Amino acid sequence: MHAMAEKASPMPMVEPIAQPVVLDVNGVSKSFGANTVLRDISFKVHRSETVCLLGPSGSGKSTLLRCINWLEEPDGGTVLLGGRRIGVRPGTNLRMTDRDLAAIRTRIGMVFQHFALWPHMTVLQNVMEAPVHVLKRDKREVRKEAEALLRRVGLADKMDSFPARLSGGQKQRVGIARSLAMKPDLILFDEPTSSLDPELVGEVLTVMQDLAREGLTMVVVTHEMSFARDVASRVVFMDKGQIVETGNPDQFFRTPQTERARQFLARYAARDR
Amino acid sequence: MTAYDYYSIVHAALATISISLLSILLGVPLGLGLALIRWSRVPVLNEIAIVYVSILRTCPSVTLALLLFFALPEIGISLEPVPAGILTLALGTSAFDAEIWRSALTNFPRDQYDAALSLGMRRFTRFRRVMLPQIVRSSLPALVNEMTLLIKASPAVAVLGIVEITRAAIRIGARTYQPLPPFIFALVIYSLIVFAFVRAQRAVERRYALAGAPA
Amino acid sequence: MNEFAVVWQHRDMIVTGFENTLIIVALGATGALVLGALLAVPLMARQRAIRAAATAYVDAMRCVPFLLFVYLIYYGLPSLGLRFDNWSTGIAALVLYNSAYMGELLRAAWADMPHEQIEAGYAFGFSGLQLFRRIILPPVLLSALPLIGNQLIQIVKDSAFLTIIAVAELTHEATAMQTTYFVPFASFIAAVALYWVTCIGIEGTVGYLNRFAEERR
Repeated sequence: MHAMAEKASPMPMVEPIAQPVVLDVNGVSKSFGANTVLRDISFKVHRSETVCLLGPSGSGKSTLLRCINWLEEPDGGTVLLGGRRIGVRPGTNLRMTDRDLAAIRTRIGMVFQHFALWPHMTVLQNVMEAPVHVLKRDKREVRKEAEALLRRVGLADKMDSFPARLSGGQKQRVGIARSLAMKPDLILFDEPTSSLDPELVGEVLTVMQDLAREGLTMVVVTHEMSFARDVASRVVFMDKGQIVETGNPDQFFRTPQTERARQFLARYAARDR
Repeated sequence: MTAYDYYSIVHAALATISISLLSILLGVPLGLGLALIRWSRVPVLNEIAIVYVSILRTCPSVTLALLLFFALPEIGISLEPVPAGILTLALGTSAFDAEIWRSALTNFPRDQYDAALSLGMRRFTRFRRVMLPQIVRSSLPALVNEMTLLIKASPAVAVLGIVEITRAAIRIGARTYQPLPPFIFALVIYSLIVFAFVRAQRAVERRYALAGAPA
Repeated sequence: MNEFAVVWQHRDMIVTGFENTLIIVALGATGALVLGALLAVPLMARQRAIRAAATAYVDAMRCVPFLLFVYLIYYGLPSLGLRFDNWSTGIAALVLYNSAYMGELLRAAWADMPHEQIEAGYAFGFSGLQLFRRIILPPVLLSALPLIGNQLIQIVKDSAFLTIIAVAELTHEATAMQTTYFVPFASFIAAVALYWVTCIGIEGTVGYLNRFAEERR
């Protein structure tokens, strides 16, 4: 942990993004050993868009998502958040310092498949933790906002509970509130409902739908086709590490352009029946 | 350090090894006995076993050695240093071994035991041929670990005047005014002994693994 | 029974020894836990050289019998110019020796942590010391609690070895009482009883804290 040796100076602040293009992914590739997981991925995300990444397992969707906030480091290509390059120091080929990377990550929210709540903190503390300790905001203000967010996702009565006592759906709603508390420019959702029992999926999707309607910029990796069809502003279909097809949901679901997309949709249609 | 000095440490190592081995030979079966008492819940003895394990698990080896050597004569048992040392280490390890054995016993698959019962095997045979080999196999790693801990606790008997490795090293250091070389050599010897134990464990594990694959 | 009356009459000796043991154990355990937590970092380092160095330290401490280690510091170091008194030696030895065990058990608990939890820390902008202190360390301590308790008991037992370098802890005072008043049975039984009570106290506290910890896992 090289970063531990650095002095505790205030974190470099990153300003909220004003540009219409929030995320610009260009030529991203990633291999794990001999296995090429992402090949030359390029796409853009505009403000208030909800982009759904669809595709069979192993298509690289989650890896791509994790490359956006540099949880995985791409082997090639660039990722720009509001024009700012993530992961690499501007003008060089050198990796960003941990502090700069941490600063940029505060502008990107993430909701995890297995919730990833911090078990030693209460629900309210989970939501308040990053704004207070990373953004160094005033505790009382953050508390008010956190309580409001938890009320909004329907967990007002669970604020002082520990994550261990919550159901999967409740945990994920906390995860969403936790991301919202940072007021990010973009929230990444990594298969947010895949770990949930079927009856709990709805409560999470409802929250996500509301957020989309309110104009939150979202990139969602999901297998929930109904969500993609009803809520996404754009669908990106991936297979074997490449973007095979993109388009608006109506177009994609009713008239897929490529054979692979058609096969994928056929499999899902058969399942829904 | 002279050649004789090296020799005297090696000689002391023999004392360490033999005392340790005898302690293990006493302590491991004693631990098994205690574990069986706990497992079959023999009245009265069960409670005694619980208290025994609790006290001996928490008793420092040095204190126990002093207690056995100086206090036992009062109730008529007068021990020489070496037997007292062996008894100290044996009793100490028996408490930990009892817990190890007990864990293996409680994790033993009940249905195998019942199968032997239904075949009409008598109690002792049941135990000897069906249970014992398997609980030995599953306890072995923890038991050997405990043996290495015993070897590392063996310097405690130096307090009774026994010349084991640590004491021999100190003597040489006191004489030559260069304590580091004998200490380092003592360290090497201890590491070799521990290493030998671990290797023996792996060899025995392999042999048992071949013989005792689940049917 | 006469003996126990004598021991009770001169109980100050034993009580002082017991207090000293508690002080030594408290200092030793605190030091070992703090140093162990710091050691866990290089033990989990991605860079092989750093990890190897830390692992070498842990393996070295696990190879050495504690008493030999005490002697190394007390009798061995002076020949290199470093002289410590018996108390400093004792506490330093306990701290250094047990920090290796604490470090290893904390490392194991850290490695067992669900990876996503830590990733979430990174994703929300935590890094470096702050990540370690707020996101990694608390769950690690909570999950390692029973093992930390066991190590504490080991520290209590190791403290008795310090009698050999004349630290006035419990075993030393029991021995002194025995040689002064010829009451070996009572004095050593008293010592054994006090060690037992201390360790049971540690186990009880760990059990109590464990309930607190269960919620937070």
